[in-house]
Amino acid sequence: MRNYFGAAAALGVLSLVPAAALAQSEVVVWVAGEPGQTTIYDELAEAFNASQSDATITIVKNSSDLFNPALVPALSAGEGPDLFTFGTGPGQPAALIAGGLVADLTDAYREHNWGDTIPEGIVVQTSSDGKLWAFGNEVETTGMFYNKAIFDEVGISVPTSWPEMEAAVAALQEAGYDTPIGLGAADKWPTSHWQSMMFGRYAGPEGIESVLFGDGAWTDAPFVAASAKLQEMGQAGWFGATPVAIGYGELMDRFWAGEVPMTFTGPWVIGGGIEAAGDRIADYGVFAVPPFEDGQAIHPTNSIGSGWYIRDGSDNKDHAIAFLNSMFLETDGRVALLNAGTIPVGPLDEALAQAEMSQLAQDIWQTSDDHAVNGSVPAFLDTITPGSLTTVSYDGLQGLLLNVMTPEEFTAEMQDAWAAAKAAGEIMLPGGIAE
Amino acid sequence: MFLDPNSKWAARLNPVLFLLPALSIYIIFAIYPTVSVVEYSFTDWDGISPERNYIGLENYRKMFSDKIFWEAFRNTFVWSGVILVINVGLGLVIAAMLARVWKARLLIQTCIVLPVVISPMAVATIWRWMYQPNGVINQLLEGIGLGALARPWLGDPNVVLYALAFAHSWSTIGLSVIIFLAGLQAVDEDLYEASKVDGATPLQQFRYVTMPALRPVTAVVFILTLTQSFKVFDIVWATTQGGPIRFSEILSTYMYKRGALENQYGYGSAIGVALLVIVSVATIIYLQIQNRKEQ
Repeated sequence: MRNYFGAAAALGVLSLVPAAALAQSEVVVWVAGEPGQTTIYDELAEAFNASQSDATITIVKNSSDLFNPALVPALSAGEGPDLFTFGTGPGQPAALIAGGLVADLTDAYREHNWGDTIPEGIVVQTSSDGKLWAFGNEVETTGMFYNKAIFDEVGISVPTSWPEMEAAVAALQEAGYDTPIGLGAADKWPTSHWQSMMFGRYAGPEGIESVLFGDGAWTDAPFVAASAKLQEMGQAGWFGATPVAIGYGELMDRFWAGEVPMTFTGPWVIGGGIEAAGDRIADYGVFAVPPFEDGQAIHPTNSIGSGWYIRDGSDNKDHAIAFLNSMFLETDGRVALLNAGTIPVGPLDEALAQAEMSQLAQDIWQTSDDHAVNGSVPAFLDTITPGSLTTVSYDGLQGLLLNVMTPEEFTAEMQDAWAAAKAAGEIMLPGGIAE
Repeated sequence: MFLDPNSKWAARLNPVLFLLPALSIYIIFAIYPTVSVVEYSFTDWDGISPERNYIGLENYRKMFSDKIFWEAFRNTFVWSGVILVINVGLGLVIAAMLARVWKARLLIQTCIVLPVVISPMAVATIWRWMYQPNGVINQLLEGIGLGALARPWLGDPNVVLYALAFAHSWSTIGLSVIIFLAGLQAVDEDLYEASKVDGATPLQQFRYVTMPALRPVTAVVFILTLTQSFKVFDIVWATTQGGPIRFSEILSTYMYKRGALENQYGYGSAIGVALLVIVSVATIIYLQIQNRKEQ
């Protein structure tokens, strides 16, 4: 009987302890990616969970295609993740912000000195009305991945000018490589990386900014010329006979299997490449696509990509901010990101000294750094423009490759969609944080 | 829960009480969302904002002048037409042939029905792989000397819609065959015997005995196939996302793009309502035709 009294007394005492003191808060974090991919966030969450006791980070992955369609209803219902990644720039987050679905991070920016790490250019892409809405955490770039073994076999070297590029492609075609530059255009978005790079080369970063934030138009001559060049390359068979019939996944399988000499993509493929190619990974390198025209400068794409948002009304806002700090401000987190091929924003010296980046990752960032002085294209266009423009661009890029659309028609459709989005008030005017 | 069968109201209320659980689920998960979609179609809701303004018929006006809607509309009809021909026409022929097969019938039946239970995403993955330029189908064609027919099935604007419709039919025809088979078992064998005595060939038996006897079953298969084909989304989305360009854009993928990806829920809902009306009208017309034939 005495045991029962003891147990009852213990339960009574426990019931007086606030529930919050016993239970950890669960911070639900949504990231775009298939299970097995973006494993870096699992590692970072594990490290965070081990380092403190009052919150647990739970990472939930949703495929890129279904991410937004799942996120928006969840947020609208007042539920959904505490912390999530979402597009940035003038087009994509405007509706979320206008709908009051994301939290204002301006106080956190000031309190945690995020300004020491996040460059002003990225703050501009993630703020409006003087408030910061997202933590712009990383920089993504693109480069021409190539198979050194195939280049050696065919007797070509890395091209540094457009005539050399043309000669290299011709030599590869001559040697029987029917797809000199792989492009998984069935998935639509991979072609958008070409588009961002080529628009940046022909119009310069200022030309793109003039459309995004000024009076420029997608029908301006440089964008038409860039579209024409892409179409010309497609018609000359540079991407093989049928790039729109090949998915990105299949294409990358062929690339790592050594069947395709080149493909234009970003550092996110490196982890999978190391796994797929094994020891042959040393056969692969990266170079910057040479200027398409005489006198043209190389402008690397340094895209902010997605930013991290906190759901408005989340009870775990402080924990979510702590997790962001641990990932992107603390050295351990930054080193882990670098090792995974992700480049966090801000000064890298301390983290780079400890990181063990793969050679390919170092190569692609080197190509970007080599030309950064010319000015960078601020983003992959499909990550910052409104969905309606992205749809039109994706379809139009396939139209260019299939030669059923002219560059003028393509850019006109883009401009129509852009103007319609502007007229509908779907474009946010970023402008930094109010003093 | 139920009234005493001897009570005055039992005969009227007990059936309603029996129906109530299923009816509640149907109302919550079918009727209410449908009514909501109709309501949203009269608004400018972006799917995010707490505010939605009623804009009358503006979304419908926009839809009728939207050239992509009409492209998707046309594609949807071609898509459904191909699937109806395969699932109803070929399904009936396969069922009639199967009904005459005794050896290994169960095995053949299982093979035909098996794709029905495969998830649509898996079906999409299988066919995406088979339709690759260097995939199984092209290799097979080249292997049997028909290399001239090999093509990038999902990248060729002229064939992509038919290729996807065929893939969808592959995964659904089994259901048609099973329903037709069930119907065939109910056909009086004496009719076949009598027609045989009259000298009817197997083809004539099929034309004058099997087909008329299966008319009600055919109506069921037709309507099931039609509604299924109109609401297909996954196989198209997972293979081409409506591409190349918009050559395989059907109304369901276009509705998804506008509603979910471009945050135009109001407009997406209007497309959804149009889809509902089209299927309903097509079903009613077909049933009317069937009724007239019966009479």
